Amino acid sequence: MLGRRSIPVVLPSRRDPRLKLSVVIIALQVLGQTVLDFKVSIAQILITIGVCALIDTSLTLKRQGVLAWPASALLTGNSIAFILRASGTDHGDWWSLNGIEYFVLAALVSLVVKELVRPGGHHRFNPSNIGIIWVLLVIGPVHVFPQYLWWGPAGPAVIAALVVIVLGAVWVLRAVRMLGMALAFLVPFTALIGVFAATGQSFVAIWQEGPISGFDYWVKICTSPELLVFVCFMMSDPATAARTPVSRIIYGAATAVVAAALVFFQPTEFGIKVAILSSLTLTCALVPVIEAVTRRLQRGPGSPSEASPAQPPPLRGRLGAGALRPASIAVVIIALTAVVGTAALADNKDLYYIERGLTGPVNAQ
Amino acid sequence: MVLVASLVVATDLFGTRGALFGSATPEPRDAAFSRIDSAPATQTEQTVLISQPWWQTVRRFRGVGTQETPAFGIGDEAIQWRVTWNCERGRFLVRASGRAEPLIDSSCAGETTTELSGTVEGGLQIEADGPWSAQVEQQVDVPLVEPPLPVMTAPDTSEVASGDFYRMDQVGQGRMTIYRLPDDRYALRLSDFYVTPNVDLEIRLSPLREPETTRDYLSAPAKLAAPLPTTTGSMNFALPEDVDLSRYRSVVIWCPIIDSAYAAATLERDQ
Repeated sequence: MLGRRSIPVVLPSRRDPRLKLSVVIIALQVLGQTVLDFKVSIAQILITIGVCALIDTSLTLKRQGVLAWPASALLTGNSIAFILRASGTDHGDWWSLNGIEYFVLAALVSLVVKELVRPGGHHRFNPSNIGIIWVLLVIGPVHVFPQYLWWGPAGPAVIAALVVIVLGAVWVLRAVRMLGMALAFLVPFTALIGVFAATGQSFVAIWQEGPISGFDYWVKICTSPELLVFVCFMMSDPATAARTPVSRIIYGAATAVVAAALVFFQPTEFGIKVAILSSLTLTCALVPVIEAVTRRLQRGPGSPSEASPAQPPPLRGRLGAGALRPASIAVVIIALTAVVGTAALADNKDLYYIERGLTGPVNAQ
Repeated sequence: MVLVASLVVATDLFGTRGALFGSATPEPRDAAFSRIDSAPATQTEQTVLISQPWWQTVRRFRGVGTQETPAFGIGDEAIQWRVTWNCERGRFLVRASGRAEPLIDSSCAGETTTELSGTVEGGLQIEADGPWSAQVEQQVDVPLVEPPLPVMTAPDTSEVASGDFYRMDQVGQGRMTIYRLPDDRYALRLSDFYVTPNVDLEIRLSPLREPETTRDYLSAPAKLAAPLPTTTGSMNFALPEDVDLSRYRSVVIWCPIIDSAYAAATLERDQ
């Protein structure tokens, strides 16, 4: 009851896969705070989640007149705080508000894009992905960075995290039927990174002396818990991923190829991490195309159903008709920003010095 | 509009991101080539690296009574400058052209350092009642790139150990070389060196071969080799006369303020 008005309360369903995902991310956050040296504070995590929850709950209350458990927003906030870092935050400084504005900004961007950029009435981008990418690219490496690819030496802490990720992945991906999608990403991506490693690609990272190349290049990228978290818990968002089993395979493989192509040019860990995240921004934008192509492939050329008036109009016609709508233009600009912004990181001198640890107190990544 | 603006900033078009949110990398600057600013430059090198601010000697003056010093300049890159002065009796008054107030107006009381800001043109007008000395220094944060000492390449000098720095608690990189000089003393050279800046760092000699942590380092007594006021560049140091190099197996950059081993290099003995 609120005054004289009765407001229904909608609680989460125990079968909601978002709850499962939240349990996994919270378990990883606990490991990060205790044994994995994550440079993020409890205050940063709680405020980011709180901002997302407050906005989402308010919007739902206004639109539907119900007080709904903000499952998606909680997940968005948690994911942002799981990946985003503010330069100068020390592990163990649990109540630090250092760089809290960047976390709030990422949360706001996530939800604003989710609510306003809705071609066809649905949000196109993974909310936390778009918020993190925006802050990493616009605010830049002087103030923010993504969680390291390397979580520490292969000791009990990292093994515990990997166990949580793998078990959580099976638990979550089976629920949303995305195991095939995850494999469709991992197989080509790890193969392409292997080719890059064999051809002499390298990168520098703040946590390692000297360039990382050869087999180590492959190991540090492909066995990173961060990569698994990205594939299993970010790409697998059913609301923004492709919908049919075949289109999900194409979606996974396409994201892998885009990610690898963007990674290829990156000489820094920051650039590699942003490249992986940006690949999802682009493929989320292309999901309607992926689904249309999948439908066409499944029907086959010359299929009688293609000419049926009951079927949707041809792909080219539908894309052309929707392309000039404001939401579609926004999708194009956002995808372009992610890809071009990521490509531009390859030539970022700041980043190179930061990752080599040569900027001293100016940037304490 | 917001999306287009994001595109421009995210791609750092026209340096917009740097202009809005700053840069971690300063504009390239000339490195210093000597601890004394008036020494003739033998080379030029541009760098974007930053050192812990250190004091570079500009000029040393000595005189008796009232005198005007020769002209000198404080560099544009100087963060501040200072005069360390000594006089025997009476007052010590220092004026600079273009400044209404005296820079220093004090009684003689042993060696005294007065820190100053702003620029100075020409020399200093010094008024004293007897003999005096003054050393002018400027504080800079550019790397110090000293050439090797001539004695390091003398025929009777031998290279006895060398090694590459690795990080411990902080970033440390570069190479160190230890020379035995003709007078049986040792000199240490750091080349292309960088360690995370902090005040009052020290170069220490440790009996441990490859200390990995501060705890490792503290497990065996170490010897102070030299203070490290400059944290970036190439520099030469004379080791203390009583150093028995056979007792030591690594060089460690030590921060006594926070009891932290920043970086280390293992001594690889040259045959």
